[in-house]
Amino acid sequence: MTPVISAAHVSKWYGQVIGLNDVSVTVQPGITGLLGPNGAGKSTFMKLVTGQLQPDKGSLRIFGEPVWRNPGIYHRIGFCPEQDAFYERMTGREWVTALARLGGMDERRARDAAAEAIARVDLEEVADRRIGGYSKGMRQRIKLAQAIVHDPELLILDEPLSGMDPLGRRRAIRMIREWGRQGRSILVSSHILHEIESMTANVLLISSGRILAEGDVHRIRDLIDEHPHTVYIRAADPRGLGREFLAHPGVISLRFEPNALVVETAAPDAFYERLTELAASGACGPIEELTSPDDNLQAVFKYLVRS
Amino acid sequence: MEQATPRPGAGPAGTGVLAASMRVFDLSLGRMLWSRRTIFTALVAGLPVVVALVLRTLLAFEVPVMQGGVTGPVVFGLMFWGFVVRFAIPVLAVFYGTALIADEVEDRTITYLFTRPIPRASVVLGKYLAYLVCATSVLLPAVVLTWLLLAPIDGALAASFPDLGVDLVIVVVGFVAYGALFAAVGTIFDRPLLFGLLFVFGWENLALALPGQLRRASVAHYLQGLVPHAMPADTPLDVLQRAMTGAPGVLECALGLGLVTVVGLLIAARVVSNREYVLEH
Repeated sequence: MTPVISAAHVSKWYGQVIGLNDVSVTVQPGITGLLGPNGAGKSTFMKLVTGQLQPDKGSLRIFGEPVWRNPGIYHRIGFCPEQDAFYERMTGREWVTALARLGGMDERRARDAAAEAIARVDLEEVADRRIGGYSKGMRQRIKLAQAIVHDPELLILDEPLSGMDPLGRRRAIRMIREWGRQGRSILVSSHILHEIESMTANVLLISSGRILAEGDVHRIRDLIDEHPHTVYIRAADPRGLGREFLAHPGVISLRFEPNALVVETAAPDAFYERLTELAASGACGPIEELTSPDDNLQAVFKYLVRS
Repeated sequence: MEQATPRPGAGPAGTGVLAASMRVFDLSLGRMLWSRRTIFTALVAGLPVVVALVLRTLLAFEVPVMQGGVTGPVVFGLMFWGFVVRFAIPVLAVFYGTALIADEVEDRTITYLFTRPIPRASVVLGKYLAYLVCATSVLLPAVVLTWLLLAPIDGALAASFPDLGVDLVIVVVGFVAYGALFAAVGTIFDRPLLFGLLFVFGWENLALALPGQLRRASVAHYLQGLVPHAMPADTPLDVLQRAMTGAPGVLECALGLGLVTVVGLLIAARVVSNREYVLEH
């Protein structure tokens, strides 16, 4: 079977700085997580895989074809980039339709495909509002909609859950898993193990421009649990959230920042579960943003590099 | 080797440059029309209209501003050459042309265009076409309005109407040629606006003023050959030069402007097709 992605000795430099260092990896069909701390080379790998950058050394193929300067391959690839960049004055529907048209669909088919993609990311209610007025979670979901609008075989998602609230996160994870079940291959990057783990067990670990390991995520799970996990929550009532988590098992420390709560926990699974319950009940008001610094993952990577 | 084949519902593999350009055009036109750049364009295009209005107002109050046999069509001709051709068209082309790709890169939206099954050249061409529509749709009405205000002053609308037709063609042709040139500049240089303005206000003035064939390396030289009005003098030296060299013929103008356009667009398309755009987060 032709691998979805095959990279052979791929290196990429940005001037004197190396972005990716002699990476050889094969990605098979299914969901694969690309896990690594910020600056590890995830985005460089994603940009190479999506043909935005050309390898300085080595070769990179998608479905057996080179991707650089091969626009035809984008019929088979859907890409959700990391950056929060849009045509802000367009409505979500206009934007997704226009991008579907760029894929070669006629106007009517593009409209239908856009409507379907928007429905799949649960954005019908706001589809005719300008993207400039969307919340962070909506913006992430409309990005996902443009990635799936042409029904690609391979979805490449660069930090797709970044900044989403807990409910949006749970919904997005469910969608990604569902797409995987439908037979799509998905490469999804994150610096948060918990996120990747909830989507797939199959991971590529990347650090300092190198693939450190590939395989089952559960093997590094024990390692990560040895390090406290930090979560930043921007919410309407951070003090209320703080009260809820004060006595929660596994919580090591709590810190308040303007409109936000920073929690350090040794039991991230239980913590996220409780946070999702609180978000769903609305007991502590709306939770606007959830991010996790990668210090904990960095520590695991240091350990892996040493060993 | 397994080849890229479209999924059901997707378009044909390898969408042609022209078809893809039209889709990029559709996507870009509205965005370009409702940008701050269009406000700037409207301000620049509105200047001759304001001058013409002031002139008409002064004449209405019988202020003797038109003396020595100067007629409305002559004033219009002066404004057309001195302001529209030598200032408005190149300046607007610099601002639009150099930003065709740069705006998308700056806004970090270029990723969405470059990860679609269309040649990158079509992104350049589609956005270039959108610029043409944007720039001409603002400047052409302003030229017509200025003409309507000035031509009847000691002149007849009907008599100068054919010249107006040529003027409007010159506006379009000027945007076509300058736009292509500055699209190329915008893809090559890191500070394209500076290079563009230096070309317009430095090089073009110098080339037209110096004796010899240097003027052939300017766009203004070829536009000048198309202007139907009597040429106003930029400088005494310019008059002398024109007497010595003569204005270029229409065929030479068409060839010169065509060459600038084709080469400019080809360079822009080639650079964009081969360049890696690293977006800062």
